[in-house]
Amino acid sequence: MARYRARYAAGAFCLAAATLASLAIPWTVQRAIDALRAETGAAGLGRYVAVIVALALANGLARLGSRFAIIGGGQRIEYDLRNDLYASLQGFPPAFYATHPTGELMSRASSDVAAVRALVGFGAVSLFGTAFAFVGALGAMLAVDPWLTLWAMAPYPALVFLVKRFNSVVNERAQAAQEQLGVLSAKVQEYIAGMSVVRAYTLEPRAAADFARENGEYLARSLALARTQSSVAPLMGLIAGVGTLVVLWAGGKAVVEGRLSLGALVAFNGYLAYLTWPTIALGWTLSILRRGLTSMQRIHEIVGAGSVGAEVAGAAAGSAAARAFGIRFEDLTFAYEGRAPALASVSFAVAPGETVAIVGPTGSGKSTLGLLLARLWEPPPGTTFVGDRDVTAIGRQELRAMVGYVPQEGFLFSRALGENVALGREGVDEARVRAATAAAGVAGEIEQCPAGYDTVVGERGLTLSGGQRQRVALARALAGAPPILVLDDAFASVDSAKEEEIVGSLRRFVSGRTVLLMTHRLRAAQLADRIVVLAEGRVLETGRHAELLAAGGLYARLWRIQQLEEEIARA
Amino acid sequence: MPDAHEAEVDARLGRVFDRRLVARLWQAARPHRALITGSALLFPLIAAAELAQPYLLKIAIDEHILRADWLGLTWVAALYVAVLVLLYALRWVEAYLMQLTGQRVIHDLRAEIFAHLLKLEAAFFDRNPVGRLMTRVLYDVEAVSEAFTSGLFAILADVITLVGVVGVMLWLDWHLALVTFSIVPALFGAAAYFRIRARDAYRRVRQRLAHLNGVLQEALQGMTVIQLFARERHEYESFRRANAGYRRALFNSTLYEASLYASVEALGSIALALLIWYGGGEIVAGALTFGALVAFIQYTQRFFLPIRDLGAKYTVMQAAMASAERIFGLLDRAPAIVSPVGPAGRARPRAAESSLELAGVWFAYEGEAWVLRDCAFRVAPGERVALVGATGEGKSTCARLLTRAYDVTRGRVLVGGVDVREWELARLRRHVGVIFQDTMLFTGTIEENLRLGADGTLQAAELARAIETARAAAFVAALPRGLGEVLTERGGNVSHGQRQLLAIARALVYNPAVLVLDEATSSVDAESEALIRQAMAELLKDRTSITIAHRLSTVQNADRILVLHRGRIHEEGSHADLLRLGGLYARLWELGAGSPPR
Repeated sequence: MARYRARYAAGAFCLAAATLASLAIPWTVQRAIDALRAETGAAGLGRYVAVIVALALANGLARLGSRFAIIGGGQRIEYDLRNDLYASLQGFPPAFYATHPTGELMSRASSDVAAVRALVGFGAVSLFGTAFAFVGALGAMLAVDPWLTLWAMAPYPALVFLVKRFNSVVNERAQAAQEQLGVLSAKVQEYIAGMSVVRAYTLEPRAAADFARENGEYLARSLALARTQSSVAPLMGLIAGVGTLVVLWAGGKAVVEGRLSLGALVAFNGYLAYLTWPTIALGWTLSILRRGLTSMQRIHEIVGAGSVGAEVAGAAAGSAAARAFGIRFEDLTFAYEGRAPALASVSFAVAPGETVAIVGPTGSGKSTLGLLLARLWEPPPGTTFVGDRDVTAIGRQELRAMVGYVPQEGFLFSRALGENVALGREGVDEARVRAATAAAGVAGEIEQCPAGYDTVVGERGLTLSGGQRQRVALARALAGAPPILVLDDAFASVDSAKEEEIVGSLRRFVSGRTVLLMTHRLRAAQLADRIVVLAEGRVLETGRHAELLAAGGLYARLWRIQQLEEEIARA
Repeated sequence: MPDAHEAEVDARLGRVFDRRLVARLWQAARPHRALITGSALLFPLIAAAELAQPYLLKIAIDEHILRADWLGLTWVAALYVAVLVLLYALRWVEAYLMQLTGQRVIHDLRAEIFAHLLKLEAAFFDRNPVGRLMTRVLYDVEAVSEAFTSGLFAILADVITLVGVVGVMLWLDWHLALVTFSIVPALFGAAAYFRIRARDAYRRVRQRLAHLNGVLQEALQGMTVIQLFARERHEYESFRRANAGYRRALFNSTLYEASLYASVEALGSIALALLIWYGGGEIVAGALTFGALVAFIQYTQRFFLPIRDLGAKYTVMQAAMASAERIFGLLDRAPAIVSPVGPAGRARPRAAESSLELAGVWFAYEGEAWVLRDCAFRVAPGERVALVGATGEGKSTCARLLTRAYDVTRGRVLVGGVDVREWELARLRRHVGVIFQDTMLFTGTIEENLRLGADGTLQAAELARAIETARAAAFVAALPRGLGEVLTERGGNVSHGQRQLLAIARALVYNPAVLVLDEATSSVDAESEALIRQAMAELLKDRTSITIAHRLSTVQNADRILVLHRGRIHEEGSHADLLRLGGLYARLWELGAGSPPR
């Protein structure tokens, strides 16, 4: 923020100049009127008029300058702050996102940043402006007549107090109304979401009555707010009027008694009028200040927090591709914070170039294995190895170039399909994108899209099915040609025949690379070199498909269930 | 939600005055026309009081100060105080009346929209997300009321003040007035030019902000992907670009807004200079008094602000019109499923006969994606039937058709031998109760939730009996406040099993002749399971019922089991019969028994 000091200094200088020019106008008017009174004729009048026009232009320019300098500076600070915030957000691990919902982070990035902008933008202008206005106008008034100044300022303490009182009542009632709006909104949400129950129990009359009660309460609270709030603007008018009145009466007396010229009286009124707005806005300025500082603190909680993966190395996608690595888990026990262990003493190894399937019921810990391997969650040291190196000792960038992890969700950005696969990585050219999408079994569908690989997907583009999304996400991982591929139930939304086909084509595409395939479909799993059966976080069985069937354990039972399901579906 | 709302506003900006919309808005405001007339009558009074102030100043200067008449000055000052206080009171009343009108219009519109939503059919809610409907009820309505308070009325008040100022200035000194008015074209020009620019700039600000928020939201949701593929630098760059675009747009809006204010202020000072130049000459010539010049200066100020702010009010009106259009669009959407009118509605179904029948029913939620294909079955009065089938085979759809949450595409649904489309809706739904066992409880006390199902008054003893029968008495008694225990959102403070017992108690209170029970899909602990089974048996006693079974453990006691497959009844019979048959049911049964912990 320090680098904007010069901007703010320039802005403050402009504001001071504008204040000076503004106050010089009544001063000139005073000279003009007194010249008229002296009946020297209209001869010198042109000079005053020219001065006023010049001052008006100077004032306008200085005011513009101050706005550009300070408000523009505030916007730059906002820009920097938002960039910093985003950069820190990129550094947080999934554990952070598990506890901070997107909505909450969005609100911090929008409303808190906006509150800071208000503070460093309009807040700063208002703060400087108020200070200059009081110093300048009071000085000018004192120069005209100290006694009259005292008279004119006499109601101010009471007025400031009154405005403050009104503001606090308005705030209180506004909050009460806001709370009730929340209640009303919850009611609407509850009834709309529960419309099936409303219908089933013919609750429509009750729902309407319930809504009417909260709606009525909201009306009552809004009107209570309106009663006070409606008087705020007239009150401001009253304040301005009282100033004029005091000057008219006390100043008029001074003119009558010959202690003050008529021009001075008019000028005095002008100075006083210049004070009205800053006085009224004082409460508002202070609340911007308070809110801005609170928001600043909240933003710094995030920006300051240790960013783990801020290291951004341009690790080229294909650099580590040549070699094959193995995977090894050694007595791995892992629990998510405050929960029972998801994995308990898991030990097994995957040889370089081997394809191993991990199967097991939902919640057996399949996904956790993948998350730890890719270090999206932190495994305990000495438990998880890639190519005989502990993953916690491998830099994140290097590890992620080694391990291609395909999560279940199949998240796509609202961009072109080709961009979603390439992600702007060096070395991932068009040919590679095509080869990867072909291996993922989605190339044909992409080519049929209106704009092929340039088709934009997402909210404002083409909507893909869950299965298509998953296959594009797979292609994304394949395009990077990682030596190790981890597929975390990456075909859950793809139908089972297609899954078998993809696993088949995949095995050819990635031949020589190590593949860890988590799946709940045993038909796909049976294509693997070896199968590991997990249940409740433990390795229950390991072996080839035929061996496991013969053993008659959990795997055999799961196999029977899937056969039943297939029979039912075929019936 | 506010973002989506803003984007919608954006898309529709452009029209301000749609005669049809204005007519409907007037219709909405009609019940409050006394209030509207009242506040409109205040406008001229306020304008008069405002215009009196500079005039009093003129009198004070010309007749008293310049004639050294301090006593007279005191009188004028007293009059000035009176005008000030009067103006304060009038403005207060005016502002309050406007708020009152606006808030009442909001209140009535909200009630109307909500009542309309209650009438709309289930298919409507499938297509319209909750968030969008909430925007209509809560925020669009606010924007419409702005049309009254900050839009139309404010413009009317400004026009009256402007006319008054112009009149008084012409009356005081028409030469000087014309000199002042020479500034007006420049003023209008500046106001219009910068306001239009500022409005366009604001539109761009909103678009850029929406874009920035979109980029951010997507990045937050896809953070795992960004991190996995080490795309931090790449994504930071695209965020930075969006952020820079927003900052530039914001700066442009500041540019125009600040220019508007600065140029109006500068023009005001130039008008002052003109007044002094021309007025000074007139004073010297004796054609004008000092007081009149001072008064003129003040009138000029009162004349500038309304012109400057006209543009802002125009924008408010635009937003209000867009909201009004969306609201009336919703209100105009007629409910698709309503009670029959005319002779059919008067036909009294034999309510005592509680048979159910689906005859050749075809149904699709959308287009040709058939969920039920020629589905037919009949349930005799007093019979207990269970409907089973794999997930997604249309079991729950049958329940929805029986109470006309949806209407069949082809075929007929008969209750008591009468097509459901000939039943009066409320009577039908009172006769056939669909009980979702996994149901949501509403915010409120347990007692309120149970009483929801009752027609009219419900004796405490009856309520107690229902709770007893539903096996819920023990846990309710154990709660700190018993029946008065407040259930939080979605009933978070009672267990899953207890919620199901409460749902059963509520069904007992509702006491329909025919019961369609949609079983809970989620499992509960063994102890609750036993209680639930007992309570269900009580609930089904002496009633015609269809149980939609998601787990097969509960269907063995049914008189008959229907197996739904591919949209039609595939097998039917008793549990033993079907097992013997060795078909689909037998496989489902084995699957249910052998299911691993999921």
